[in-house]
This record gives sequence, structure tokens and C-alpha cells, in this order.
Amino acid sequence: MSVASHPLVPSFERPASRVAIRRVQSYDADLADVLWQTLREFDLPVRGKTVLLKPNFVESDSLGAINTHPAVVAAARECFLRLGARSVVVGEGPGTERDTEAIVETIRLRDHIGKLSDVFVDLNLDDVSRVALRTRASSLKELYFPRTVLEADFIVSMPKMKTHHWAGATLSLKNMFGIVPGGCYGWPKNILHWAGIDKAILDINSTVRPDFAIVDGIVGMEGNGPIQGKPKKSQVLILGDDPVAVDATCARVMGLLPERISHLEKAGYLLGHIKAEQIHQIGESIASVETPFEVLDTFRRTRRKHEA
Amino acid sequence: MNGLSDAAPVLAARRAGLAYAFAEKVCLPFLLDSQNTDGGWGYGAGTQSRVEPTSWAVLALLKSSTSVATEGARRGLDWLRGAQLPDGSWPAHVGLREGSWATATACLALHREGSSSEAVTRGAARLCESWPQEGTLWWRLRHFLSTNSVVRQNPFLRGWGWVPGTCSWVEPTALALVLLRNLPDALHPAGANRRMRMAEAMLFDRICPGGGWNSGNPMVYGVAGVPQIGPTAWALLATQRHADRADIQRSLDWLESAYRECRGAASLALGHMCLCAYGRPARDLEPGLDRCWSANRFLQNVSVAALATLALLPGADFLSGRERPVRP
Repeated sequence: MSVASHPLVPSFERPASRVAIRRVQSYDADLADVLWQTLREFDLPVRGKTVLLKPNFVESDSLGAINTHPAVVAAARECFLRLGARSVVVGEGPGTERDTEAIVETIRLRDHIGKLSDVFVDLNLDDVSRVALRTRASSLKELYFPRTVLEADFIVSMPKMKTHHWAGATLSLKNMFGIVPGGCYGWPKNILHWAGIDKAILDINSTVRPDFAIVDGIVGMEGNGPIQGKPKKSQVLILGDDPVAVDATCARVMGLLPERISHLEKAGYLLGHIKAEQIHQIGESIASVETPFEVLDTFRRTRRKHEA
Repeated sequence: MNGLSDAAPVLAARRAGLAYAFAEKVCLPFLLDSQNTDGGWGYGAGTQSRVEPTSWAVLALLKSSTSVATEGARRGLDWLRGAQLPDGSWPAHVGLREGSWATATACLALHREGSSSEAVTRGAARLCESWPQEGTLWWRLRHFLSTNSVVRQNPFLRGWGWVPGTCSWVEPTALALVLLRNLPDALHPAGANRRMRMAEAMLFDRICPGGGWNSGNPMVYGVAGVPQIGPTAWALLATQRHADRADIQRSLDWLESAYRECRGAASLALGHMCLCAYGRPARDLEPGLDRCWSANRFLQNVSVAALATLALLPGADFLSGRERPVRP
């Protein structure tokens, strides 16, 4: 079980994490092969299990820079089925657009994964159960979560690599805002903003920690993300079984300092690793794929050039 | 009369017949099959009963004259009455202890049926007593002192939030306005007119620069927000008495254009209802809904089937501009 099954272990007691960086030129590449070769290195316990893929679907996106590309989602689904998963469901609860069908049809998800009624769950409208949050970083204490999330054996966070005008960056941890049901809290899920975005990210991920993360950085977004920024080609997929380490690696690829992104810095104490020396890189090196992202002035201090 | 004008009534009747047939053969059977044994509806067929989808399903069934639809609506109304909280509001989910935007939809359904004026009065009163969080003194002071505002909006103009303790947003504000506009004087709570005036002003403050509305952020860090069909349709339905305003007409222009490209059944239904309410041209709804149904079965979404029914069948007068004047 993904919910409340991961021990909250201080960073210094955790073994080193592994994060893979794969260079991918475009969405026309054989994404399933890239993912298959990489996922096999992680020996994931998914045989006979229910896997939930949680992409980042936000709204219609003519430039392809807002939403996780459906080709990546389809490739991941194929790979987890090949790894023996009993079922692989795609679930998302968009934050501001209520017409989820309009989003998934516009990005042509059906063309990639087949009939949506068999595979896709709108997490905003799913059955829910109340869950006490495992940490008290925010004032939330408890949240309703969708049944599909609570019953999943293995959760894969699949964000787009983007800057975020309030959180600095939105990656696999911030992506979990999408499991909070709009059907209980509205569109947007404004209680999370009032509770403090960074703190709410921690509380949600301490309670429903993704088991794995696959970040779509083939085309990401820089500047005024997560919606109004500019497309940024990084041409990478970044994946691993420690979502904090994956996000820290993404930040470095984006030319950002993870320890200066508030929610990542705090997540590094209890949920995973952000220090480079505690993350074992597989595949490409960070230096070889680093693609500095523009950030808003508010987050200028997160850029690596300010490190010295 | 020339041949074209001779054909117009025939075509209109044919279109109405197709729309009626789609509602009768697809939407209403789906709604009736999806009703839970407790009388309510979930957002998805077979899921936990919730206030909002139950409200829309009841409103849709009340438009059908069949006995089975009438019975379904009656059971839905009973469930809605039972879900009302002691303070008069309705929660988004029965486990929640505070009211929500669904207070407006529940009141709309109960008011439409007509025999629950006490429940509606309490609901509307609670709605008018509830203020969004940006009304606090601290919030106003912080905004007044701030020199670096991220979003371009007037925090002194307040509408309604989705749930307590949050900001004003377009859709819950519009839903509350649609409700209050439909209530007769006898059911109007104290302070309703003031709330309505301020809520309308808040909606106009949140229009995206090119027309239309998104969830409620028309400008972030100096970049214009992109409108969405749902919030735009609700905001326009809530502000019909201002039809002559240039920004309303600009928003209708945007909606007309977006409606033509729309791929979601919910947006199609809402866009169609709104364009019809303003007398704007809207292409036939039934073919688009048929495509959505064939492809995705509306993603099994009860609210979508209900809104489609309301859009397809004539007489959604609670959305068509019947106006309750706001007293100056």
C-alpha cells in the first residue's frame, strides 16, 4: 500500500537513492523501450499489484508544455503491465478546469491509451475517504482522498518538468495536489493554498507518498509556470523510486538549487534525499543534460548561478 | 415566403426532435440507472451520493414528464433534504461538517420543485451569511500595504468561495447569484441585495482581458489568464441583466468561438445553454454530445448527463434570464 506505508525516516538514516536520467529527443522516440530499460534496473514490486499512474493534466495546451505528454503515460502503462502489474490505471484530478473530458480529449489521451472508461479515473469525482495526515506541517490535519488512490498498491507520480509561480518548481511532489478531490474542495483546491502550498505538499506526500516518479522533461515549461510560462526543451525523462531525490535531480537539471525550493528543502529532512552525495545517478550525468530554466524574479535566488 | 423560410420551422422541429430523442434515449436512462438506493447520485454512476450531482440530476428529471422520472426526482429531493446541515447549508460531501458551493445547487433543485421553501430559505440565509476569507481585516490590510501584487484583482469585492475559509471564485459566485436571482422576495434573506451587487462587481473584476472567465485569476504576474467555457458560461448566466455591457458581449464572442472547438460534453452543454439564453447562435448540441457519449460515455459523469438534459430539453427557465431586479 502506498498510503501511510512508507516510514517517515530522517534523511541521515536512509540509504542512498537512485535516480535515472534518460536523454530523449522527442515524443516520437520509442518511449516504452526507454522506460522499460530503465524500470528493469529498479526491480519494482508491482507483480500482481494495482498501479496508479498520476500524470499532470491541467488544461488544453496547444504548445504541449503544460500537461504530461500522453505518449509518456501510455509508455509507462505498457511497461508496468509488462512488469506484471494486475492493472494500471491513469488517474488525475485537474486543479482548475472542471471539464476533465475536454482536457483529456484535447490532448488525445484516448488515442494513446485506448478507451478511457476502461483506464482513466477522474480523481476529482471519485469516491472518497477521510484520512488523517501523517505530518502537521500545515493546519490541515486531515483530508479526503479518492478511493482509487487509497486502494492503489503502487503510485507513480508523472509530472511535467515546470517552474511554478508560487512553489518555485512543480515536479513529482507538487503533482500530488492532483489527488485532492475537487468534488470535496472545489476548483481550484484553494484550501491547499490557504494552508500554505509548501506545507500542504509535505503533508500530502507524507501521507500518500508516491512509490515512483517519472518526470516528463522532454518539453517542460520555464518562467511563469505552471500554465503561462514558455515551453522549454530539456529532452530528458527523469525517474526513480525516491520522489524527493527525483525532484532534486530535476531541479539541478533545470539549473535550480533544490535546497532553496522550500518544499523540497523540507522534504529532504523526512521524505527522501535532496543532497547530491546521497543520490546515485544512473544514465546521463546532470551536467550533460543541464538546461537552465528561466524563473520569475521571486525565485531568482533558487538559480544555481547564485550558489557561489 | 421563399423556400428557405418554409424549411426553417421544419428544420427547427427536426433539431428539437433529435435533441429530445437524445435526452430521452441516452441522458435520462443513464440518470435513472445511476441513482443510488438512498435516493441520491454520486458524481460517477454508482459512487457515493453527493449534493451537487443530486441537485443537477433532480433538475434534469423534473423536466421529464414520465412517472419514473418524477419518482426518481422525488427520491432525490428527499435525499437532498436529509443532507442539509443544521446551519442551513449543504456540504460537498456528506462527511464534511461545513457548507459548500453545493448549497446553491441544492436550493435551486428544491426551489424548482416548490415544496421546500423552509429548507431553501435557511439555505439562502446561510449562503448570505457566509463570507469568503479574503474579507478579513488582515487580508485587506496586507493587500493595501503590498506593492508587489501577484494577481490583478480587487480584494474588496467578494463573492463566494467553494468551501469556507477560502477566497471568492467565479463559479461558486455565479451559482449563488443564479440562485438568488431565482428566489422570490419572500425567500430572500436579509443582505441578499448587497451580496448580489458586490458579487456581480466581483465577477466583472475577474473577467479575463480578452473576455471570458477562468476559475478566477484573470491576470497573474502580468500575464493574461486564459478563459474556460464552464466558468464563462456560469458567469454569463449570472449576469444576464448586464447583457449590454461591452465586456459581456466580448465574453459571448469568446464563448461562441470556444464552443465551436469544444471537446467535452459538460462544456458543450453549458456553452449551449448560455449562448441560447443570450440569443446567440449555437450549433446543434446533439451531434457533439453524441460524439462524447460514443467515445467516453461522458466519463460516467452524472452531472454532465444532467446538464446535457437541461440543455437539450426546452424550458430551463431558471437559467434563461428570468430576472429578479437587484434593488439599488
